[in-house]
Amino acid sequence: MSRPLDHIPVTDQAANDDLSAEAQRWERDTRAPFVSTHPERRDPFVTQALRWPIRPLYTPADLAACGFDYRSDLGFPGEYPYTRGTQPNGHRSSFWTMTQVTGFGKGEDWARRARYMLDQGLQGLILEHDLPTTNGYDSDDPLVEGEVGRAGLAIDSLEDLERAFDLPFDRLKYLMSVCNAPQPVNLAMIIAALEKKGVDPRQFVLHIVNGILIEYTCVGRYIYPPAHGLRIATDCIEYIIREHPNWAPISIISAQLQPAKANPVQEIAFSMAIAMAYIDATLQRGLDIDTVAPYFHFVINVDMDFFEGICKLRAYRKVWARLMKERYHAQRPEALKIRMMTSPTTIALTLQQPLNNIGRLAIMATACALGGAGDNMTTPLHDEAHSLPAEEAIRVGAALQHIVAHETGVAETIDPLAGSYYVETLTKQIEAAAMVEIEHISAMGGALKAIESGYFQRALGREQYERNKDVEQGQRKWVGVNHLVAPGERRQIEIFRADPGMEEQQVARLRALRARRDAAAVARALEAVRAAARDGSNLVPPCLAAVRVYATHGEICNAMREVFGVHTPDSQLTGV
Amino acid sequence: MDLAAELLAGKVAAGARAIRWLEDGDRRGQELLRQIFAASGRAHIVGVTGPPGAGKSTLVDMLITELRARERRVGVLAIDPSSPFTGGAILGDRVRMSRHALDAGVFIRSMGTRGAAGGLARATYDAATVLDAMGYQVVIVETVGVGQDEIDVVALAHTTIIVAVPGLGDEVQAVKAGLMEAGELFVINKADRDGFEQTRRHLELLLHLRAHRQDAASWQPPLLTAVASRGEGAAAIADAVDAHRAYLEASGGFADQSGRRCEQQFLMLAREAVLGRVLEQAPPQLLAAVRERRIDPYSAAQHLLQGLAGAPAA
Amino acid sequence: MAPPAARPLRVLLAKLGMDTHTVGITVVAHALREAGMEVIFTGLKQSAEAVASAAIQEDVDVVGISSLSAGHTRSLPRLARLLREQGGGDKLLVAGGVIPQEDLPLLEQAGFARVFTMGTDTRDIVAYLQQWWRERLAAEAPPS
Repeated sequence: MSRPLDHIPVTDQAANDDLSAEAQRWERDTRAPFVSTHPERRDPFVTQALRWPIRPLYTPADLAACGFDYRSDLGFPGEYPYTRGTQPNGHRSSFWTMTQVTGFGKGEDWARRARYMLDQGLQGLILEHDLPTTNGYDSDDPLVEGEVGRAGLAIDSLEDLERAFDLPFDRLKYLMSVCNAPQPVNLAMIIAALEKKGVDPRQFVLHIVNGILIEYTCVGRYIYPPAHGLRIATDCIEYIIREHPNWAPISIISAQLQPAKANPVQEIAFSMAIAMAYIDATLQRGLDIDTVAPYFHFVINVDMDFFEGICKLRAYRKVWARLMKERYHAQRPEALKIRMMTSPTTIALTLQQPLNNIGRLAIMATACALGGAGDNMTTPLHDEAHSLPAEEAIRVGAALQHIVAHETGVAETIDPLAGSYYVETLTKQIEAAAMVEIEHISAMGGALKAIESGYFQRALGREQYERNKDVEQGQRKWVGVNHLVAPGERRQIEIFRADPGMEEQQVARLRALRARRDAAAVARALEAVRAAARDGSNLVPPCLAAVRVYATHGEICNAMREVFGVHTPDSQLTGV
Repeated sequence: MDLAAELLAGKVAAGARAIRWLEDGDRRGQELLRQIFAASGRAHIVGVTGPPGAGKSTLVDMLITELRARERRVGVLAIDPSSPFTGGAILGDRVRMSRHALDAGVFIRSMGTRGAAGGLARATYDAATVLDAMGYQVVIVETVGVGQDEIDVVALAHTTIIVAVPGLGDEVQAVKAGLMEAGELFVINKADRDGFEQTRRHLELLLHLRAHRQDAASWQPPLLTAVASRGEGAAAIADAVDAHRAYLEASGGFADQSGRRCEQQFLMLAREAVLGRVLEQAPPQLLAAVRERRIDPYSAAQHLLQGLAGAPAA
Repeated sequence: MAPPAARPLRVLLAKLGMDTHTVGITVVAHALREAGMEVIFTGLKQSAEAVASAAIQEDVDVVGISSLSAGHTRSLPRLARLLREQGGGDKLLVAGGVIPQEDLPLLEQAGFARVFTMGTDTRDIVAYLQQWWRERLAAEAPPS
């Protein structure tokens, strides 16, 4: 039939009011007798991360019990509180931007890979840097042997980035750069490289992650003590808002908290507290909330628990809107509407039976779409156990997003799961618990204090231990790992080995660079960086001047080390 | 391998093995201790105690740097609590001091409390003796920092540094009552925090009252401030530590304290030894009788004494 | 003098080089503590020299290195060599993380007794260490 039925008998309204009594009757007379002869296969039924009990059945009585109200809890898409979506038309006008991780190796390798990905239909690229670069070292530092160019791009100087940017910038809509601790140096390098290539920075969106507070919390790629880290990040935020207002100066990558086993409540609470630390610091630079808030961006992933993921995404939108309105009194809708990129999590994928991961990714990508995919979705690759992507896996990852978008129908209407008794109950519960935790963190002085005292890290350390036990003791069934394990399967991890000559070549280039540049100009530029570090002025301009005279990444980071010192937390502060 | 000789020559592996034997109650440890005991008694033992969150480890890290600049060789015993249930422990204090990892003049040893209460590990005394005999001129003992009875370190150390921190809420708890009487140096760490002034005034008052109770010749504990995370305040603390040592040496207190420490340890060991022997000789039914409440604890203890040769009848 | 009832195994856990993933090492540290062991954690971004020095000072029984990046082929053998040179050759050396099969012979030759590949159940790690320790204690001359 081509239209739905238009006369369905309307239920008696009064019957709804007696619904809890009815539900109890059903439990007593229908379900319980059945269960007595068909025992449940799990005890207890709990959600995957939060381990909250899952009831057998949710009814309108559950919505009433949690005080659900359509208008105040959901509203309409594109309107406060944005639970159903920040866009007025969902994904009916355009789909989310489809992106994927790229970078490894020397500049030329990244460029080649990037061009391939653009050819596959991707419009955005994510630039990861190698560990020496993200930790603020040059490729010839003795500490970093074996790591150069391995986990991402090695950028020692402007020259390296110039080589990497051999790209069709007309096809590139979006570039994200991940390099948190040395952010002002990385930002300066990118700006200078774009200048050299003659690229108009208004033609696309450069997005720097600039997420040092999450590094202190759970990732560990920090250099300077936390208070200085926050200052440095704020310098970058302020610089971009004033000089390149179409760029994105910050991303709260909640998707790093999640692999560190933050549950959805912790994810929301910790990431919001962290966002507020940056916001408060930026407001102190004389900018106002309606200008600043729209620049904030979250990367949020979902795990395999379908409903935890969907409800988490919906709760995120509502919590952000409430905080901006109630705490900061933001006025503009752009300040109240959260910006997010969503993604299936890599930690749900297994080394064993990797083809299963394609199924997992499809399910998680669908959950993202149902939760409201945000502005971008990025899909990890089904065989990420291979340390870095192979081209076939890239193709599959890209196709998955197109399949979800075009073949499933989940994006044809806005927020289709709204009104589900379970989904709305769980969304509300997550929101309520998150707001309580946010208050708790504020009471202890905010995210910076939580980091300095080790509160976040210890909480995550506990979750890591407990969740690992869930898997080891079989409370959580994981196909291929502790359920339907293929006997005798010995899967080889193929660690990505960078071209062995790469490190040597990079070191040689670095030495050649140092030999031919103007040493006096470099020395002056580094002194200017140190001066800015000391006197509190914005670090980005002196970093820009320094990269233009080919001061190296490590040299500029060291200049700041001399002023700020380095961060050496004890085990309490690493969660161990 | 003559472990005692190597230990006395300052060899790290030898000293480390000696501490392990002593921690484990290995017979070889006691043997070793006999051989090295005469070489101990020279090191300045500095206790560092205070509530959790005071930043003790950061302060110790800073102090090590300062003492090294003054060319002292420094030993550190960092104590963390052992789980009362599993006996296991995560000993993470040395991470804070990792900058000294490659300094041959610094020896850092982590110890779990292994059932001891009072903020120290069971074998802290022995470990301090080993470091002393190895030639470390200052031995810093960083206590656990939780619980109410952190005063064991006072009996062990020549100089006890009490670390306080502003903004803990309850000023009275900022420094435990017993410590106020016994500490030799008070440091308010994280001095840049809110509540610093109140904490400072409060401690000044308590120290003032203490000064009144003591005679003029006794040591007047200084109240210092630090922001250890920025390396501020180290010089003043090191100066005060040196000043206290000088005071002790002039007054004979240094040798006194070293002697008292030995006496303390002797009593502890004697208690353990005697109790062990007595329980060995006790009738096995005695414990069962106590547990089943057929006899009260006092009478049971008397029975034990009667079992010892030469003990008077109850 | 009666020795303490149980002598805890002392294990040093460290991460070498630039790799800062802590989830694996955190989980193992907690599991070892639950099993009654003393875990000395030397922190992140350590050099092989610093870890060796710590292992000697702490006189640990076991040195466990976690590695999720690829520097292990050079840094782990160097650590083993430094330990031997400083008198720690009798310590059990184990590693865990992302270490490919083809590197196992190299590590074994360098002195690593066991490599726990990613996903190893922590109970297996605990059992392995306890078994090793039982055999070690039995082999040592017991003090009278």
